[in-house]
Amino acid sequence: MSIYAIQLEILLVILGISTLLTDAFKPAGDKRRLGLTLGVLVGVVFCFSFLLKAQTDTAFHGLYRLDAFALYFKRLFLVATALVLVMSAEFAKRIESGVAEFYALVLFAATGMLLIASVNDFVLLFVALELVTITFYILASYLRRQVTSLEAGTKYLILGALSSGFTVYGIAYVFGTTGTTNFDSLAAALRTGGIPNGAFTFGMLLVLTGLGFKIASVPFQIWAPDVYQGAPTPVTAFLAVGSKAAGFALLLRVLLAGLLPVQGVWALLLLVLAGATLAYGNLGALPQRNLKRLLGYSSIGHAGYMLMGIAAVNALGAGAVLFYLGQYAFTNLCAFLAIVAVTNATGTEEIDGFAGLGKRAPILGLALFLAMASLAGVPPLSGFFGKFQLFAAVVEAAQTDSRYYWLAAVGAAAVVVSLYFYFNVARAIYLQEAEDNSAIPVTAPVRVALWICMAAMIGFGIFQRPLVEMAVTAASVFGLK
Amino acid sequence: MNPVWIILFAPLISAAVITLLTRKAQMLSALISCAAIITGFVLTLQLYSAMGHGEAHSLAPAPLTWLVIGDLVKIEIGATIDHLSVLMLLVVTGVGSAIHIYSLGYMKGDPGFSRFFACLSLFTFSMLGIVLSNNFIQIFIFWELVGVSSYLLIGFWFEKHSAAEAGKKAFLTNRIGDFGMMLGILLLWTQTGTFCFAELPAKIAAIPAGTLSLIAALIFCGAVGKSAQFPLHVWLPDAMEGPTPVSALIHAATMVAAGVYMLCRVAFLILPSETALHLIAWIGGVTALMAATIAIAQNDIKRILAYSTLSQLGYMVMAVGLTGITPAMFHLTTHAFFKALLFLGAGSVIHALHHEQDIWKMGGLWKKTPVTFWTFLIGTLALAGVPPLSGFYSKDAILLLAFEHNKLLFVIGVLTALLTAYYMGREVFVVFFGKPRDHHAYDHAHESPAVMTLPLVFLCVLSVIAGWGDKIPHFISEHMAEHGEHPALLTAGLIAVPVIGFLVAASIYLRPNPSDEPVKKALGKLWTLVENKYYFDELYALIIKYVQGTIATLCELFDRFILQKVGIGGLAGTTSLAGKTLRYLQTGNIQSYAFLFGLGVTVIIYYVVVR
Repeated sequence: MSIYAIQLEILLVILGISTLLTDAFKPAGDKRRLGLTLGVLVGVVFCFSFLLKAQTDTAFHGLYRLDAFALYFKRLFLVATALVLVMSAEFAKRIESGVAEFYALVLFAATGMLLIASVNDFVLLFVALELVTITFYILASYLRRQVTSLEAGTKYLILGALSSGFTVYGIAYVFGTTGTTNFDSLAAALRTGGIPNGAFTFGMLLVLTGLGFKIASVPFQIWAPDVYQGAPTPVTAFLAVGSKAAGFALLLRVLLAGLLPVQGVWALLLLVLAGATLAYGNLGALPQRNLKRLLGYSSIGHAGYMLMGIAAVNALGAGAVLFYLGQYAFTNLCAFLAIVAVTNATGTEEIDGFAGLGKRAPILGLALFLAMASLAGVPPLSGFFGKFQLFAAVVEAAQTDSRYYWLAAVGAAAVVVSLYFYFNVARAIYLQEAEDNSAIPVTAPVRVALWICMAAMIGFGIFQRPLVEMAVTAASVFGLK
Repeated sequence: MNPVWIILFAPLISAAVITLLTRKAQMLSALISCAAIITGFVLTLQLYSAMGHGEAHSLAPAPLTWLVIGDLVKIEIGATIDHLSVLMLLVVTGVGSAIHIYSLGYMKGDPGFSRFFACLSLFTFSMLGIVLSNNFIQIFIFWELVGVSSYLLIGFWFEKHSAAEAGKKAFLTNRIGDFGMMLGILLLWTQTGTFCFAELPAKIAAIPAGTLSLIAALIFCGAVGKSAQFPLHVWLPDAMEGPTPVSALIHAATMVAAGVYMLCRVAFLILPSETALHLIAWIGGVTALMAATIAIAQNDIKRILAYSTLSQLGYMVMAVGLTGITPAMFHLTTHAFFKALLFLGAGSVIHALHHEQDIWKMGGLWKKTPVTFWTFLIGTLALAGVPPLSGFYSKDAILLLAFEHNKLLFVIGVLTALLTAYYMGREVFVVFFGKPRDHHAYDHAHESPAVMTLPLVFLCVLSVIAGWGDKIPHFISEHMAEHGEHPALLTAGLIAVPVIGFLVAASIYLRPNPSDEPVKKALGKLWTLVENKYYFDELYALIIKYVQGTIATLCELFDRFILQKVGIGGLAGTTSLAGKTLRYLQTGNIQSYAFLFGLGVTVIIYYVVVR
């Protein structure tokens, strides 16, 4: 049973280690092909994951769960990893040395994320979280000769260490006051023990601090713009898609499985933080001129949207968050793939550098445009339906507590503001004239990856049912109403 | 799969395949498009023969549910199969097939060959959608799709300014009618709560008479637009800017007939309302006479036919207004045959003369283009209503109906018939007889290839036989009320009318060098009036300039100064100021980041734990 539960993780670790070993003994000549091969292999693992069945009982003495929720996230991470590897392969020529290690680190981070999807205990939570975070410290500063990359890595390291400190301190308090680190027994203890004391709340808030850092929620969002801008683009993409989804997986699991009995304490806090995060991310994005930095702010804003779904504490909201993360992965990867392809040719990440992209490389222009439109939530793209569900969840919550209407109002205002800066990018793509009108080459793998992402954005926007059903099944493990 | 769905969706698939895949391969694209509609025609024939054996309704496929909003709204995409729709299917796919094949020759060498066939297929899909609709929402959707595809086809040669303008004019004029139709549909829904044709008749009785008349009149607006009735008739003559096969398919045989078909489809709404019937009959009568008078003074071979189409559509609408659903559909069918024939014949002439459309530059063509001439002549006689051709039977059915119900409309109808014979005689005599006026063009004139003449012959045969034995009226309504015996004098008179018209035309125009001078002299000011189409375009331009222009200017001022400056400007300024302020938080300094992080934790803990 235990081995069955972790076979996807095992496969990824084998892939990672064999990458390292082959590179040590017989370095691959073509680093790009290596990345593409790994991307395809991870894609195979993704297909393989559909053979697995969700389990009702836990593994490793309650540490680990392979339920529908875990499987949903594992698949999400696998798709994201495959696409990030394709992106890394395109990016490989900009990495001076250690390309194989770069791929291996991506795979190890992915392993951590897969573990995170199954976490059922604070101890495993910490271990898996650190596996992901420490890998990202290295990845973010991988362009060693570039000051911005080093700066991004350092900032992420220091603030990340700080947040890890808070988290582990908080875990100690939770363990000290309840006597358990397991989510199930924690929930049971809270249900019978009634209202917890201050020390427990203190510990719980510190744990949430660490998770808030992962998802870049206010007031722990401050690192995001700098790190997003400075890190190598595939790493930024992985941060935006994988790391953020991992944070949400943990947040959902901790809050809805472990801490659901004390929702009175945290629901209102999340409501306030969601509103603040929405405002910060979307307002902060307005004056940005660098596209990666803009997407950094955008990722803060989107954390706000998804927090809305958790703050609503209902089945609709939990399902909506899962759907949102699923489509958000394709949308963001689409944008970052286009950015990598463009910056490979032009060397700039400024929005002005994307002027005339619609003419210089129609497919990149279209992909980036669709990604921006989906992020802004324009129908019929998937981002629209994702937002629709989140808002529906908040409005449903507002039926019992009218304060949620305020959150919905803030969210609506945020959507309006976000249209401005997303369409600023669209304007550059289609309406501004480029100084240099030479065509930008697009390689076949990028083309394929872009088509996949665009098909997902449009497909899940129009035929939402398959993904919605998966998300709802996954969210049903929490038994919310 | 139910064959009805194949009939409907084959053209859509063809349009998609051509646009997305085979645009580069011109001949393949054209063949795909032809195959789609011919498949539809064959399946429709099967449907027609199956219909003879048993229940019509059992052939209809189960409707697909498209949109459900609670108990409030349920919208289906379904198909109605009855005598009315099968007849219309036969017309659309049959005449459509002929025109598709004809286009293979006519459009040969055009750079937009594939695009043309893609648009043609899209149009066919939309038109079939209207024919098959089983509810008002569906018919409205396809109604608009027909508008769009018609726009694409009229403006097919968009690089020509006049064609682009004509497309725009057609689309906008149609939208005016469609808006009325939409209001009518919504009003009907508020009264009955359903859009479905099958459920509506039972609920009509509950609607107050005044409201029902209003609904019928509003829905009739849609037909006024599509079937180019007065006062929205102005778009159809301009639509002749499109390629000639388009004029034949859309602006003679099918799309413009959609208005009449729709009225027949929703006859259950119109027949109970005396007021609406009067309105419809008179609009039809006025259009018939007005268009016929304009036609006598036009010089473009296609525009004459366009005004003739307006006039004949007027007959059909008038017939609906006189409660004659069967005569209306009968005339619709025969008209589709001979008018498509005439347009294709005109196209053949234009093709022969290298895109010359002015009848005064033609002449003596009967020797050069014999097939075109003979088929055109037969089409003309059918249109004029000469026995035993199809037009005689269908037109007489309408005139006799008018004789029974409304003597004044009968007089209008007879006058129109007289004029019809006259202007068609003028066209035939000027184009095919007399001496050639442009010798260069005449010397190079040639008969069109078989791919174009065969459809002419096919349509010619239909134009001759369609009226025989009253087969079509009997198909539409099996228990058609038999007409009472009419005085032999009346029938003889109706036969004499076109003959008189032709004789008058012959006396003026059947000479070596005909001209309009004698008529101009006789009519005086009246000639100027009809030559300028009663100045409708000028009148509309003035209305748009003064009424719409003033309102638009006021709105623009409000938008620019109140909304943009104060409203948007103020909001946007505040928002972007907030954004810029947030930037100061993002110093890039790691110490301050860590400080803010710690501060955040402290504040949260303070608020949740301590307070």
